[in-house]
Amino acid sequence: MRRSRLRPGDSLRVGFVGLRSRKVRTVLSALGVAIGVATVVSVLGISRSSQDELLDQLDALGTNLLQVQAGQGLGLGGNTDLPDTAASQVRNIAPVEEVASVTSLDGPALRSSYADPNATGGISVKAAEPTLLDTVAGSVAEGRFLDDAVDDYPVAVLGAVTAERLGITAVDGQTSVWMNGRAWQVIGILEELPLASDLDRAVLVGYDAAATYLDADLAPSRLYIRTASSSVEQVADVLPAQANPEEPENVDVSRPSDALAAKAAAEDAFTSLFLGLGAVALLVGAVGTANVMVMSVLERRGEIGLRRALGATRRHVRGQFLAESLLLSLCGGIAGVLIGAAVTFGYAQAKGLHFVVPASAVGYGMLAAVGIGVLAGVYPATRAARLAPTEALRAA
Amino acid sequence: MSDAVSAVLELQQVTKKYGDLEVLHGVDLAVDSGELVAVLGPSGSGKSTLLHIMGTLDRATTGTVIVDGHDTAALSEAQVAGLRAHRIGFVFQAFHLLDGLSAVDNVANGLLYSGTPRAERRARAHAMLARVGLGDRAGQLPRLMSGGERQRVAIARALLNRPAIVFADEPTGNLDSHNGAEVLDLLRELNAEGTTIVVITHEHEVAAAMGRQVEVRDGMIVRDSRRTAEAVAR
Ligand SMILES: Nc1ncnc2c1ncn2[C@@H]1O[C@H](COP(=O)(O)OP(=O)(O)OP(=O)(O)O)[C@@H](O)[C@H]1O
Ligand SMILES: [Mg+2]
Repeated sequence: MRRSRLRPGDSLRVGFVGLRSRKVRTVLSALGVAIGVATVVSVLGISRSSQDELLDQLDALGTNLLQVQAGQGLGLGGNTDLPDTAASQVRNIAPVEEVASVTSLDGPALRSSYADPNATGGISVKAAEPTLLDTVAGSVAEGRFLDDAVDDYPVAVLGAVTAERLGITAVDGQTSVWMNGRAWQVIGILEELPLASDLDRAVLVGYDAAATYLDADLAPSRLYIRTASSSVEQVADVLPAQANPEEPENVDVSRPSDALAAKAAAEDAFTSLFLGLGAVALLVGAVGTANVMVMSVLERRGEIGLRRALGATRRHVRGQFLAESLLLSLCGGIAGVLIGAAVTFGYAQAKGLHFVVPASAVGYGMLAAVGIGVLAGVYPATRAARLAPTEALRAA
Repeated sequence: MSDAVSAVLELQQVTKKYGDLEVLHGVDLAVDSGELVAVLGPSGSGKSTLLHIMGTLDRATTGTVIVDGHDTAALSEAQVAGLRAHRIGFVFQAFHLLDGLSAVDNVANGLLYSGTPRAERRARAHAMLARVGLGDRAGQLPRLMSGGERQRVAIARALLNRPAIVFADEPTGNLDSHNGAEVLDLLRELNAEGTTIVVITHEHEVAAAMGRQVEVRDGMIVRDSRRTAEAVAR
């Protein structure tokens, strides 16, 4: 005796026809799934895009920069400077590649002699070595940086924020700032320095010029140190003793790139929060799909009865409704991935980030969609399969 | 017993109970290959119940049901489904056509669960549609067709698997007299070409158009024109 048999291709087609025959309903419930999947994909995409940006930045800036300054506190009193010899001592550490010292000076720096000396806008004045720019991986936006040729002239380089606060946008040989009773010609404006952002708010002058025109104490307040990438930790360990042999405990060593790395890590925490939201959206989508499928079974009892009369087994009927539910959520999933990618693209464009949709986001999105399809389909499909053919035919 | 050899359907002492309510009380009925049988009876007499049991859509509570040589009591659910897929055709009062499919695809569904490839199903469906006089309506959606046309599509579907027997439950119940007469003519023609058909009806005129009348009342066969004829012949 011959068995009843539904070819795999027909089985898919049957599910597809079921969806096609009820377009509005299909689109609406696929949309439910799509919204959930889109949320997950865009959250993962956006967070990866911003993380990539931070990590790229970190890559460009390097993680081998260390920073040394005199410790604050410890009750030893006011000396917030390092010894004069600190820079040369640190240079003696073998893996150290570059050292630049910076000394905080008394302000104020003003736009002109007429400006109010009390309105400094948070701008500080610092003496800096010509090596500073390379050491902190910075670059000039306009003009040039301090160098040996101008070290003893009254010239200044402005941090990015300083230039903005003072309203200086161009370096034309005429522009100057007013410090300690004289004009200092502005020879350069810096880009922002992510690894040394306090310098963004500074006016930088050469050490010789500071000695000549400002009559300041030039003990270094801070050293920036580039080391070989492989020996950052070792260098950090020996830095206090080298920088201040007499009071090594009064030396603070830090690694400015840690702040950026922490920011990238924080993105992750943020992501989990929004992923929770995505999970809720997915759940709503699943409930919606299940609801539609249950309704569909109730409504289509006549069709179920007919198919049994045509020779469908319970298994065929169950397979049909499962296929419908799976196809529905797969369509929703694909739409959701596309929407999520579009949202990520829009966000990346707006924020000037790289556009990245990680493969894992697409994978999780589609996995969630399939999961919804199975979860939302099993119960209605089982109900449909359990329906006796006579009952199904009588109801219709 | 020469008629037992050619019987495509045989019921022996079939009863059906819904809980405590017995709606069929010991029905004996044999249908030979090539017969056109009307099962006639008033509403609630148990005609549909009988049709479901004969068509293996439901099981008898007691008694024997033999379809196309198979004792259905011995068959599993999946096996009787196979019997329906290959050897039985159904026509319903409400047509039961799928709205999303064209006429030819609805007809092709008559072989959907037989494992026949789609191209062959469709080719045979086209031929069968032509046979029922709807060769030019193959691409039409059922809801754009008249009731008579829809029932002819349903009949084409029931015939597609070349069934040993076709069961029609009130096939003219939803049709006006003109369309109903056309459908009955078609059933008679198909029977003349060799198809065994059992038509269930509560209308005497419909039953009169068939070769044999079996009358059901309160779950029992009260008259069978073939037995009467046999008795007369004896
Ligand atoms: N699932 C069921 N549970 C309980 N009783 C049922 C069930 N199905 C049918 N019956 C009863 O069995 C009897 C016969 O029903 P059936 O549908 O076979 O009658 P019928 O002759 O086809 O009537 P009609 O001409 O109205 O279609 C009726 O009294 C009906 O109420
Ligand atoms: Mg009935």
